[in-house]
Amino acid sequence: MSWRLHRVDDRLIHGQVVVAWGERLRPRRIWVVDDASAADRWERELLESAAPGIEVHVIAVDEAAAAYAAEASREGEAFLLVRDLATALAVVEAGAAVPRFTLGGLHYAPGKDKVNEYVYLDAADRDRARELRRRGVTLEVQDVPATRPQALEALDPGLALP
Amino acid sequence: MARVPALLVMHADLAAALMRAAERVYGPVEDVEVLSNEGLSREALEAEIGRRVVRWSAGGLVLTDFWGGSCHICGAAATRGRGELVIVTGVNLPTLIDYLHNRDQYPVEELAERLKQKGQDSIRLQRGLSA
Repeated sequence: MSWRLHRVDDRLIHGQVVVAWGERLRPRRIWVVDDASAADRWERELLESAAPGIEVHVIAVDEAAAAYAAEASREGEAFLLVRDLATALAVVEAGAAVPRFTLGGLHYAPGKDKVNEYVYLDAADRDRARELRRRGVTLEVQDVPATRPQALEALDPGLALP
Repeated sequence: MARVPALLVMHADLAAALMRAAERVYGPVEDVEVLSNEGLSREALEAEIGRRVVRWSAGGLVLTDFWGGSCHICGAAATRGRGELVIVTGVNLPTLIDYLHNRDQYPVEELAERLKQKGQDSIRLQRGLSA
């Protein structure tokens, strides 16, 4: 199995990803799916340099489905990172067979409500979360591997499906 | 030589704690700001760092904890296109104290190189000596 972590985190690559998850799961590759970063050479190079010893790829959403399928049969393990639920949904809608997303950091911004210390959502986020769940994608909340994953709908009962 | 300003950006309370520790060794410190990444999105942390370094037209140092962390990444993004600003990662207490002793003695780039060397040299092994 190649894919080990599918993470939604507005910081993309940062300490929790590289040090906590990276040291625990030892991925060979990190795939960042982010249109803005993929379109900006400077930003791509910054992210590619951020995880020494790990191959980092920064791609656009429209490249994600093919990259996801190809990675699934490769040797070694991989992480997928997106910055928000809109991108997570877009990746799934594009055809990537992602079984679950781990919400690791969606920080406060005006208009967003607190779900826990590191996850804040607004109405549009909740619509996307419901759509992901309708499509069979499990949504969990967990910042680092030493904490227990929790179902998003358990922390935010408004997301329960009918 | 003009003083090289510095901003410490680190996880949790580390920047403030490191400054408190440095003051125990060096004495009272002025002109060093501290910032935590706690609870901040990439966008918010980048904006906060940018706001604090915007006046440093003659250059300055952003001192962060580890390479690849949000403090480093956001520091790099906030100082993009400004070659007079340098990010130093892996900053520890010896590095910070060396900065305080030398911030009026060197231009930015030389000071950054000095701190990198100082930080690396400060990590040593002391094994038990035979009696």
